[in-house]
Amino acid sequence: MTANLRYTITAVLAAGVALAFMPWLLSDFLLSLALSCLMYVALASSWSMFSGATNYLSLATSAFFGIGAYVTAWGLETLPYALAVPLGGVIAGAFAALVGAAVLHLRGAYFAVLTFGLGELVRHSITYFEKTYARTVGRVLSDPPEAVTVYLTVLLITVATVATCAAVRASRFGLALAGVGADEERAQTLGVNTRRVKIAGFALSAFFAGALGAAMAVRWTYIEPMSVFNPFIGFQTVLIAMIGGAQTLLGPVVSAVVFSLFSELLRLQFPYAYLMLLGLLLIVLVLYLPGGIGSLFRGRWARA
Amino acid sequence: MPEMLLRARGVYVRFGGLVAVDRVDLEVRAGELVGVIGPNGAGKTTFFHTLSGVLAPTAGQLIVGGEDLTGHAAHEFANHGVARTFQTPRVFRDMSAEDNVRFGLEFAGRRRKHARDAFDNPAAILDLLGLGDVAAIPAGGLTPAKQRLLEIGMALGARPRVLLLDEVAAGLTHAEVDATAQLIRRVRDEAGLAVIWIEHAVRVLMNYVERVAVLHQGAKIADGDPRKVARDPAVVEAYLGEEGGGERKAA
Repeated sequence: MTANLRYTITAVLAAGVALAFMPWLLSDFLLSLALSCLMYVALASSWSMFSGATNYLSLATSAFFGIGAYVTAWGLETLPYALAVPLGGVIAGAFAALVGAAVLHLRGAYFAVLTFGLGELVRHSITYFEKTYARTVGRVLSDPPEAVTVYLTVLLITVATVATCAAVRASRFGLALAGVGADEERAQTLGVNTRRVKIAGFALSAFFAGALGAAMAVRWTYIEPMSVFNPFIGFQTVLIAMIGGAQTLLGPVVSAVVFSLFSELLRLQFPYAYLMLLGLLLIVLVLYLPGGIGSLFRGRWARA
Repeated sequence: MPEMLLRARGVYVRFGGLVAVDRVDLEVRAGELVGVIGPNGAGKTTFFHTLSGVLAPTAGQLIVGGEDLTGHAAHEFANHGVARTFQTPRVFRDMSAEDNVRFGLEFAGRRRKHARDAFDNPAAILDLLGLGDVAAIPAGGLTPAKQRLLEIGMALGARPRVLLLDEVAAGLTHAEVDATAQLIRRVRDEAGLAVIWIEHAVRVLMNYVERVAVLHQGAKIADGDPRKVARDPAVVEAYLGEEGGGERKAA
């Protein structure tokens, strides 16, 4: 482990410990705001881990998140929460590996559209399955864990996600992913098994999104496909990561906090203002700063 | 006889109705420096794509170090010691020159050593190429000529046994071509590589290689000593004649 990586991971862990005290310091409203921030930090970081490095624009975040959420919805009656969460991650990761093996030879718009379609496919499949076999769409969670438990679980996943991102960036695996993003064929001629690297990266990224979905699911007392496979979760993740700078470590983190706060605060008073702001910022950035805001700080903290 | 490192047997590539490479055989042994020439559209680069695994041939066989790799992915060719450059430099633009060289060392070159340990770190390879002073600069910011050299450095990072060079001299000045050729010979000698060097400009190559193969309309029409090949009527007809007698006289 390089000194730089050790420093970054120590900082991430320290931030995690500090944030662990929040449930006893913040009001219920602020705590739910913090939860929302953490969720997008983890989603945007895990998305950047794969899509930022490889330039494979994935819109499948909602699919992985929803799969995780449904593992909790179906499993929570028989499984403890602490088991449902990693299981949600594992199932989402396995699903990503399976799908990735089939579609990761596609690039650009084809890949993006396909991953978007994936979310819709899973959502409709679950709806159909529930209608046909369970004869009900949606489930009520009878005994959800306490808010503090949920917060600490999501915090743990977030810390693990960001630390993993840092470790991946400093590793051979991360170099291989960056090679795929820079010039996939060139990377291959230098010995990278690009197919395996892409599948592994896609699955790892999906694992965190799935675990997060499983952890967050209990916040909806009533879980139905429409809400947990909400494509907006995926879009917002992509926008946040791209605006923050998907090729940096800290960019998506900072951007996720800022936009989650904006989102929660503006959504109540000016529901459209937030979306317009997000859209405008994206357009301006794509035109003038395609690497995102984080790319401005490259070479300093961004390249940890 | 030195070890046979790369053997192409009856390599045939067809794109729809067009035969780009027509049953080409080529054998290269350790320490050889072989030139491949041919007019534009002769199938040189397509043939190179098959030698490096970037393109699977429609028919034929590719044996690398005794192992049949026909139909395998490019990374397996790289891992078996075949490294290549691209005609248009394909450096990793956002990475430093040093990281570009390190890339090969981290993957294809990881479990292999050069015959001599002269090129076992990025700095040594960059110094050899005269790129030591731009090690920290993002590769996209280098001049085209330096990017070409860096392409060679990336390939050397993969610690190859067979080095495939695709028009590395294109666009260079006379002096630069000369320096590059000396460099290639030096690398070949020091690391005991087999080198296959494609060049469109005949004269450049004829002066530096010990053996030359000529492709014409996808087929190999000559293979041997450059001086003999240059007098071969079929070659004169196919290539030198078309390119102009001036070059031939000068060679």
